[in-house]
Amino acid sequence: MRTTSAILSKIFTRRFYVQNTGFFLVLFYLLFGVVNGANLLAYHKGLLLGFLGNYSFLFLVLLLWTSYALKCVGFILKTFQTQGYDFLYPTMGSIDKATRRGIWFRLHTAIYMPVLVYAGIAVVIAIQHQFYISAVIVAVLNIANCIWPLRLYERKLEQPDVIFFTGHLQRWLNQHFTKPPVLYFLYELLTNFPRRIVSTKIFSAAILWLTFLIMTRGEYFDLRGLQIGVMVSVLTHMQLMVHHRAFDDTYLNFMENLPIRLVTHYLRLIGVYVILFLPEMIIITVNAYTKTTPWGLVTVFCTALSLLILFRVMLFFPKMNPEKHVRNTMLTSFIVLFMVLGHYEWPAILLLQAASAIIFFVKYRQYEPYIESAS
Amino acid sequence: MPEPVIALREVKKNYQDVNILDIARLELPAGIYWLQGENGAGKTTCMKVMAGLIPFKGEILLQDNVSSRQHPVQFRRLINYAEAEPFYPSFLTGRDLLELYLRTKGGDPEQIRAISEKLGVHVFVNNPVSSYSSGMLKKLSLLLAFTGNPALILLDEPLITIDTRALAVLYDLIREYNAKGVSFIITSHQPLDAEEVTITGTLKVAHKNITLN
Repeated sequence: MRTTSAILSKIFTRRFYVQNTGFFLVLFYLLFGVVNGANLLAYHKGLLLGFLGNYSFLFLVLLLWTSYALKCVGFILKTFQTQGYDFLYPTMGSIDKATRRGIWFRLHTAIYMPVLVYAGIAVVIAIQHQFYISAVIVAVLNIANCIWPLRLYERKLEQPDVIFFTGHLQRWLNQHFTKPPVLYFLYELLTNFPRRIVSTKIFSAAILWLTFLIMTRGEYFDLRGLQIGVMVSVLTHMQLMVHHRAFDDTYLNFMENLPIRLVTHYLRLIGVYVILFLPEMIIITVNAYTKTTPWGLVTVFCTALSLLILFRVMLFFPKMNPEKHVRNTMLTSFIVLFMVLGHYEWPAILLLQAASAIIFFVKYRQYEPYIESAS
Repeated sequence: MPEPVIALREVKKNYQDVNILDIARLELPAGIYWLQGENGAGKTTCMKVMAGLIPFKGEILLQDNVSSRQHPVQFRRLINYAEAEPFYPSFLTGRDLLELYLRTKGGDPEQIRAISEKLGVHVFVNNPVSSYSSGMLKKLSLLLAFTGNPALILLDEPLITIDTRALAVLYDLIREYNAKGVSFIITSHQPLDAEEVTITGTLKVAHKNITLN
């Protein structure tokens, strides 16, 4: 018969490494694949000495390690909330506290192990090179990162309904703040699909960063160049739009019985995409405010938001499946691209806005999810 | 005949190419109606059409002058609906939903608070709906159906999943609201307790039509 630890290790440790294979492959490539084998030891020694001898760099590394600890904690807590894993509450809850703490410790350290190994080597190197304070900081932080999560795991067993780290904070927020409908989709993404929104935002930010890099290298700034970058950044949001429609279809049908004016529904939809695109608007402002006028920035934001809203509104055609949606968004993007290149930005924005409003006001009350027949 | 609380005119509902409802004319005076029909007959579709949840052809009038086509907002103010199997975003709390309904449908918050306490919803109203059992979700959905100042409340299978105490409260509410002039259409495979509510008429959904007995 297998031991409790072996079964729990299968549930937590093995699943963690299997689910994060991609993450570890990228990490291993960055740590061991970017330099040739002969220089590998020197590279790592240089890296270790680099952060052990510089407190700012060390702080950054500690931040990364703690982020990884949070990822581990999030994984274990999320497992408890995953459908089919409810049995963990009665089973783990039946184990005596001291033994259970030992189990938590072993499970957590097993998934935190990559950091512990690297941190262990860092401590040895730090002592060898007499960076005693850095050694103590690294050791203390990693011991702390192995201990504080145990309290959270215990708490999760005691309070199964608590999703965030602090039950009190969650309850306080729930008691004092009412979520406005404009934030529903963002809550959905952040609570149930964080990877989807994070990956979209990383891609979108990378495209903007590349746009600014190309213009900086070329020692020029052209608003049209930025608008093209922004259009590509908008296209990275397409999977979120399809998700948005599915979310509305599945969960927000009840809102159709509420006496809400059509214009309010439309403003809510615009609000969702303004909030969703806010990080990009901040990136653009920070990078471009010295190179263009405020009006230039407004033009860029209006182009982006007009495209986002039209692309979302297109999904009010019930038969618009993701394939047709891509085709239509690409076609629209090409038309807008040529209008932008010809300095017809504002006519393009007005046309996009008019098309969005017409489609929305005609289609919203008629919309019903279309289920494609199997044949 | 007294003024109908709801009148359906040439109402047709298709799912893709399949016709589900085809009601030439139906007028219901104020009262409590039991909507019957076999599984798949179209009871829930009929209720969703009446509640403005899904599009349809034709027109529905409330209180003889509020049209589903011409007055969509006012129409939704007068008709409330509690689903058979309510489904809400997992991160919302009961309180989020309650405030949204009170803000849009209106009504007396104190009265809703009192019903919430009677149904026992106040105990879990600040928790996310993801932590609710099916009975708790059902109670919340029933509570939401009593917000605002409706002329007609549609209750889809209200008797299932709730406990006996909540059931007694629900019967009390139906009687109390009906006395104030609110009409009800209730679907249920279980017979409605004749000692608790007096049924005005029975509606039968069959062959894509609704007939009043």
